[in-house]
Amino acid sequence: MSMKPVKRSAVCADNSFTMQSRSRAAMRMLLFFVALMALLALSMLLGPSGIGIPDMESPSGSAILSLRFSRLLMGMMTGAALSASGVVFQALLRNPLAEPYVLGVSGGAGLGATLTILAGTGVLASFSLPVVAFLSAVVTLMVVYGIASQGSSGQPSVYSLILSGVIVSSICSSIIMFLVSTASVEGMHNVIWWMLGSLQPVSAGQQLLSAALLFGALAGIWLLSPRLNALALGREMAHYQGLHADLVIVVGLLFATLLAAIAVSLSGMIGFVGLIVPHVMRAIFGPDHRKLVPLAALGGGVFLVVCDAVARTLLAPVEIPVGVVTALAGGPFFLIILQRRMKQAWIA
Amino acid sequence: MMQHDAMTFRNVSAGYKQRKVLDNVSFTVKEGEFVSLIGPNGCGKSTLLKTAAALLKPLSGTVELFGQDVQHIKPALRASLLGVVPQKIESPMAFTVDQIVMNGRISSMGRWGTPSSVDHDLVERSMIYTDVLDLRERFFTELSGGEQQRVALAMVLAQDPKIIMLDESISHLDINHRQEVLQILMNLNREKQMTILLVSHDLTLSAGISDRFLLMEAGTLVKAGTPVEVLEPEVLSRVYNCDLHVQQDPYTGYLQVTGAIDSLRRRQKLNRSVHVIAGGGSGIELYRRLLIEGYEVTTGVLNRLDSDAEAARALNIPAVLEQPFSPVGSDVIAQVLKMVGEADAVILSQVPFGSGNLVNLTLAEAALKRGIPVFLADGIATRDYTDGKAALAFITRLMQSGAEAWHSIPELMTNLQQQPRR
Repeated sequence: MSMKPVKRSAVCADNSFTMQSRSRAAMRMLLFFVALMALLALSMLLGPSGIGIPDMESPSGSAILSLRFSRLLMGMMTGAALSASGVVFQALLRNPLAEPYVLGVSGGAGLGATLTILAGTGVLASFSLPVVAFLSAVVTLMVVYGIASQGSSGQPSVYSLILSGVIVSSICSSIIMFLVSTASVEGMHNVIWWMLGSLQPVSAGQQLLSAALLFGALAGIWLLSPRLNALALGREMAHYQGLHADLVIVVGLLFATLLAAIAVSLSGMIGFVGLIVPHVMRAIFGPDHRKLVPLAALGGGVFLVVCDAVARTLLAPVEIPVGVVTALAGGPFFLIILQRRMKQAWIA
Repeated sequence: MMQHDAMTFRNVSAGYKQRKVLDNVSFTVKEGEFVSLIGPNGCGKSTLLKTAAALLKPLSGTVELFGQDVQHIKPALRASLLGVVPQKIESPMAFTVDQIVMNGRISSMGRWGTPSSVDHDLVERSMIYTDVLDLRERFFTELSGGEQQRVALAMVLAQDPKIIMLDESISHLDINHRQEVLQILMNLNREKQMTILLVSHDLTLSAGISDRFLLMEAGTLVKAGTPVEVLEPEVLSRVYNCDLHVQQDPYTGYLQVTGAIDSLRRRQKLNRSVHVIAGGGSGIELYRRLLIEGYEVTTGVLNRLDSDAEAARALNIPAVLEQPFSPVGSDVIAQVLKMVGEADAVILSQVPFGSGNLVNLTLAEAALKRGIPVFLADGIATRDYTDGKAALAFITRLMQSGAEAWHSIPELMTNLQQQPRR
């Protein structure tokens, strides 16, 4: 009797070389989600009025809880937008320093938002804020891209993009300073508070609009994510492998710009999240963008929510601007993680 | 068997805004051919590859893959027809080797980038082929250059293309893996009729494995044909601008291309000096080549502001100089004549002549009178700006008294070597 070789038997694990056991990754993911949930719950318990669940029977207690919840939503949206935007910029520019601020996109959005804030108040302003922010961010991106393309045939280099981004960004902030210095006292107050960054809930209408845009942009980026993996090897290689490389780059940049503009219009200028959260997520879960995009969005959102909880509790009743907390508290924490998993994060 | 045209260039000119790199290139590669693309650095080989892969749009002419204009093929289809292994790939992030190789399937995978078992099979097969399976969980960036190249090849093989173009991709490999990769390519070529276009600097190696050669020079295709047809010493020496020999092994029939490096080693200490009459930058390449060959070089008379004077100073070449815009003085003449008298040969570069530097020709005349061999660059008629074509007449007279003309630097170097020692 002869034994025929069985091509696919029960004991031969098909594609075992490339489909490695996922149990460790799944375990890590599970831990991550549990931690996120715990952190979200914790941030609902923190507030200037005290730690713990406020008295739900009293009208003030339920008001406090609903205020905390809407700040949680604001934080989730802003943090997710900033972090996902950073992931895309870093992937497309193949540069670990890339983020919305470096490319001048946030600066442009900020300039547009400042103009809107100074120009008017009321319902119209809160609706037009995200739109104007997005439009001015796109214009800024085009200006940056245009400057960087000068002298190069076709595609600008990453270095010229970042250099012109930094230049345009500082021009934008100078104009903002100028506008602030010439504004009325009330206008100046509004703009400065907005620039410091705060998760004070905006109007319900603006929240809805921002949420819709946010989900659209996140879904778009998630669809792009397999292509972002290929683009990590550069535009040429992605082209050779059958991608519309230039189209993916342009669409990706637009989505990332939209995300940055949403974040800026919701909560002002909050730094650090878009740069560091993508790196930490990459260090923990690897650079595969199919996983990285949703995880970074979640992680960025929860990070900002926690920072906001700290910001409103630590010196209560005085509220610290959340942008201060992100860098001051988050910086050391993330540095430790990055130190330990430097290799996985980004080998230059 | 009927062979289809895998890749066709029809009168293709290509390049960049300011600079045309490919100039009216036409050729056809048949399906299943193994073709080596050769030519010196900067002759347009990489540009040709980029144009073939539709990364660059031709300025004029068309590129066809299997009869379809490559500019109109959908990217995903193009990737299944043509794979490119670049000189080097860089991954900025910490992707593992299997993640990198999986990129080869990117355009065949679904919207969500989830690989099917066919994708996995292709990836695993190409990793086994290229001997990178053991590296699959390592970070790509941590690998050595040669290992990275094999991963890149695995990635392109995973594309399962009909044509593979390699852009000097194997030159970084150690000898063991270079043989292996070439063996892989030859097997794919033989068994799967895969068409291979290999950009190569190893002419001997390519001669052993290629069906055909394409030889490029300065953006044009100068010769296409079998290795024996293309590997002619005269053509190669001219294109590569150096002395090359081609030998055929009498037993295996393999062609062997060798440079002059062996003979160079033998004549490290030449103890022979050459005086170069130059000007206007026409001497720089001569200085460089003569110094590399081991000659002692002198030069003059040169204008003090001339770029050749600058080059001579930088290269530490003794030079006799004269103030700009002045007639050459008699003391300067005496100095340079002494220099010429000590030389074993005098070379006249492709310097244009006007009334100011006509006196330099008298140096050549003096050398001839003393029995020193003189080599004159040909084509003086186009460079003669003297009244009444005085230089041309002078040169003609020198030729009649025994001076030799030279056309190319490799040829000149050969002639110099053959000169008996004085």
